[in-house]
Amino acid sequence: MAHETSDSPAAKDEHHPHGVGRYWLVWALLLVFTATTVITGRMDLGGANIFIALLIATIKATLVVLFFMHMTEAPGANRLVFVVSLVFSIVLMIGVFGDLWTRNPMSLPSGAPTTEAPER
Amino acid sequence: MSSSDTHVPNPHLAHHYETIEKQDYAVRLGMWLFLGTEVLLFAGLFLGYTVYRHFYHEAFHEASRHLDLWAGATNTVVLITSSLSVALAYDAIKRGKTKRCAALLIFTIACALAFLVIKGIEYSHKFQEGALPGKWYHYAEVTAPGANLYYTVYFLTTGLHAFHVIVGMSILIWLLSRVLRGHFSESYYVPVELGGLYWHLVDLVWIFLFPLLYLI
Repeated sequence: MAHETSDSPAAKDEHHPHGVGRYWLVWALLLVFTATTVITGRMDLGGANIFIALLIATIKATLVVLFFMHMTEAPGANRLVFVVSLVFSIVLMIGVFGDLWTRNPMSLPSGAPTTEAPER
Repeated sequence: MSSSDTHVPNPHLAHHYETIEKQDYAVRLGMWLFLGTEVLLFAGLFLGYTVYRHFYHEAFHEASRHLDLWAGATNTVVLITSSLSVALAYDAIKRGKTKRCAALLIFTIACALAFLVIKGIEYSHKFQEGALPGKWYHYAEVTAPGANLYYTVYFLTTGLHAFHVIVGMSILIWLLSRVLRGHFSESYYVPVELGGLYWHLVDLVWIFLFPLLYLI
């Protein structure tokens, strides 16, 4: 794999200061995204709210996984098992969302106020 | 001291591994496998949330407005900052800076405690108002059908997350005690790395819980 550089001391010395600066940068970005999601979260943007909130959450999560959790430096097998868990989560979501969007109204719970998709 | 040849016995090498490199590779892979199962666990809960939110959209929206946004946002900042400090602790021990690592772990543990205290205050307010899960719900301000389910999902997801915070904090305390006893150095720091990974996962789950519960 492309990991032979991490053994040489020269590469290590060069890598370390860069690493610490990178952690602080990721932290600052995470704070900026948190502020953004709090501000946009309470604005009335109709159906777009949830998509903006989830998009920001996904960007934040990606930053944490790639840099705080060192996924960029992880060997292929470690990346594979984590990404596969995400893929199967998405498979699960596709199945359930498919059910929700195609459900016969008669099969809805009697207390449910609406059969519409979440739009106002 | 080089441990790539098995002539020098490495005290951290288990007998069933040939080299420390193979052992490190295996423990890291095992940790990522475990993190994968954690993702699947929370994915199921998030889906349960999505289904009920679909059926009771208005009730979920209204009920979410009765959470304390500032408590949630503060806790987000606390967890993000603790994620930074645990990453810095890992970097410190990797360079053999034991004291710096210990100080950063103490800061991270303090963040974990702060998170639990803020969450506890939020919970106690909800208990007093009667915004309780399941059949104990008697919150007068939100009576729409489905609001009950919102609070059930709220307590289930944040409760399971808080349990992860407690487990993560216990792991960090155990790591701190080992750091203070001089168990780790630049040549052996994998437990700090894996404990850090677990703590980042706790942060990851909250990154999704916060907008889904407080900002819908």
